[in-house]
Amino acid sequence: MRLMSSPWFAVRNLALAALAATAAAATRPHYGGTLHVQIRQSFETPDPPTAGYGMPDLARAFAITLWEAGRRAVYAADENAAGGRPFLDTVEIEMARPLRDQSVDLELAKTDVVELGPSELRRQPAGRKVWASAPVRLVALVFAPRVEDARIREALALAVDRAAIHNVLLQRQGEVSAALLPQWLSGYAFLFPAAADAARARTLVAGLPAAVRAISLGVEDAAARPIAERIALNARDAGLAVSVVPQAAGADARLVEVRISSLDPALALAGMAVSLGLPEPPRAASPEALYAAERALLEGFHVIPLFHLPDAYGVNPRVKGRPGITPLGEWRFENLWVEGGRP
Amino acid sequence: MIAAVKRWHAVLCALPFFIPSGAHAADDVNGAAHDLARQTAVFAGPGQPVSVEYRNVSSLGPAELGQARGAFEAALKEAGLRVSDVAPVAELRLTLSENQSQYLLVEEARKGDERQVWMAAWKRAEPAAAALPGMALDRKLVWEQEEQILDVAFPAAGMLVLSPSKVALYTPRENGSWALGRAVPVSPGKPWPRDVRGRLRVTGASFQAFLPGVECGGAAEPSLSIECRAGDQPWVLESGSHAALLANFAATRNYFDGRVATGNGLRKTMAPFYSAVSAAEQGRPLWLLAMLDGRTQIFDAWLETVGAIASWGSDIAGTEASCGGGSQVLATRPGDAGEPDAIQAFAIVNHAATPLTAPVEFAGPVTALWPLSATSALAVVRDPLTGRYAAYVITVVCGS
Repeated sequence: MRLMSSPWFAVRNLALAALAATAAAATRPHYGGTLHVQIRQSFETPDPPTAGYGMPDLARAFAITLWEAGRRAVYAADENAAGGRPFLDTVEIEMARPLRDQSVDLELAKTDVVELGPSELRRQPAGRKVWASAPVRLVALVFAPRVEDARIREALALAVDRAAIHNVLLQRQGEVSAALLPQWLSGYAFLFPAAADAARARTLVAGLPAAVRAISLGVEDAAARPIAERIALNARDAGLAVSVVPQAAGADARLVEVRISSLDPALALAGMAVSLGLPEPPRAASPEALYAAERALLEGFHVIPLFHLPDAYGVNPRVKGRPGITPLGEWRFENLWVEGGRP
Repeated sequence: MIAAVKRWHAVLCALPFFIPSGAHAADDVNGAAHDLARQTAVFAGPGQPVSVEYRNVSSLGPAELGQARGAFEAALKEAGLRVSDVAPVAELRLTLSENQSQYLLVEEARKGDERQVWMAAWKRAEPAAAALPGMALDRKLVWEQEEQILDVAFPAAGMLVLSPSKVALYTPRENGSWALGRAVPVSPGKPWPRDVRGRLRVTGASFQAFLPGVECGGAAEPSLSIECRAGDQPWVLESGSHAALLANFAATRNYFDGRVATGNGLRKTMAPFYSAVSAAEQGRPLWLLAMLDGRTQIFDAWLETVGAIASWGSDIAGTEASCGGGSQVLATRPGDAGEPDAIQAFAIVNHAATPLTAPVEFAGPVTALWPLSATSALAVVRDPLTGRYAAYVITVVCGS
């Protein structure tokens, strides 16, 4: 899991502009040049990814010309791309680059675009250009069906001190939330209580047999492990014994991250339900109906939303153009240009 | 993060829930407040006292929350309820919220063990156009549309709007608005280059449309017609009211490739440039070309470099209003995409730019700037929030 950033509201309008057509600004774009991008993820597949966000988004206007699985990918401008040939000649992506190394490379101007985690974001120099999406990644706890006692699930939901994790581990990036859809998308996320209530959690746990108070919490992404460990600490205060394990399969609960896939709140909720293994909600035509659908999905505490986090990227000042990502975090590099690129 | 209100959250967890299924789409905050007040009256009962707590989790300010509060309390009164903290029958909490497309008034109502949530929404307003700040540059909005506007011209038959996909002729209505007369498609053989540019040149009832790699000729009367073909015919770049420069446009790019010919027959290949102006400094003719490196180069009549200006954007246009030395250069501001932009009039004095007017500010980038008449230019601005394009006539006003 990548943990990210930022006062998204300030950049939301800029990010929205990236959705518009491709007319130039007061200083017109230059054609040519290579955009160097680093990412933490490593795609070990024999072919480049075609689904998901990030690299697959490049297929809109670029064609793959080099694929070294897990290491490097090079995309070249498609001369016949819809909307016109991209300004850039090529996009070079270096994979499996640790976040800290990415930031160092950006600082040394060895690269153009890097991912920023909360720690890296905090260390960015003043004036650094940052692209941030809206908070589009939901971090949540998902219980396995075998955890049948709803009191355990509710107790853990009440025990998690989201605010402390948000302040310390997430460096206040994104938003605390107990809703599936973020506030910016639904407008009603504040109706879902997110405050910890350790006393009530303890009361619930007190009524449970000792044998069911132990829970394994699976976390596959090492970057998310500190959050899981903090949750385990909170749970212990409530009387639950949560052990953090590196495999999600077989665990009683998993710490997962799912992305919002649509700017339509109803579609976004439906997509999120599918990703989390929840029943598909009825199509809602009003905020009230959507709220009712979301509330129904969260009944029983099978899924416990924790945070909504944005994607954030640090950007070399030589990169120009509208933000290279949409509010949903999709890459839109076809509208970027780099200073120094030869026409 | 939205601050939690513990008392209410405790209630949220403890009470059974009822959510009505109806949608409430109001026209504005007043309508939304009335919708909620009507339902509150049914819930609380006529004449009953209710307490109300307010909060704002939207980007709207205290004034808008105050407006919502005033509207809601007036609507409650109208519905026969009393707002009172003394022994209220129902406790209400009204939250001013928002999502991508709407503002929301969310009401949580509690009466004993019963609890209800209602929401009323209204559409977010488009941002208001910025006020006209200029003293000597006047701007007039002439057209807005979703598709990019490349240029606008005014033949006797009305208004021609050139877009990447079509040329449209609009005729004036009595109320000053424009009615679509006819639109004819413009189809390039292959996709337009990114940051596509285009230029209209009207001569009487006929017109030329210059597009990258495509040349079109047409007529606005008796009915709109156009014929286009692939070609490398140079564009005619006017400055003020006269033809100034023939320049070849790079068919797959967003700039002129540098091949130019002046009215006196001088031909030369310069570095590529975005836009060009013919200006005068104390009667001496100059050429100004906005180059790809961000500088505007100043050339003499023989196209030899005599200076440079570093503080302008990529688009410049010339006018010849009688004030300001009789020759003005309208220039955009340098900046990145999505940033606010401005157009300002300058004179060239000692091969340097001297501001003649205050800048006319725009919320988004100026995507096209072409001369329109001796005293005016046509500017197209993209709204960074909506993505829509607006065409303005920018006029140099003397003596204001």
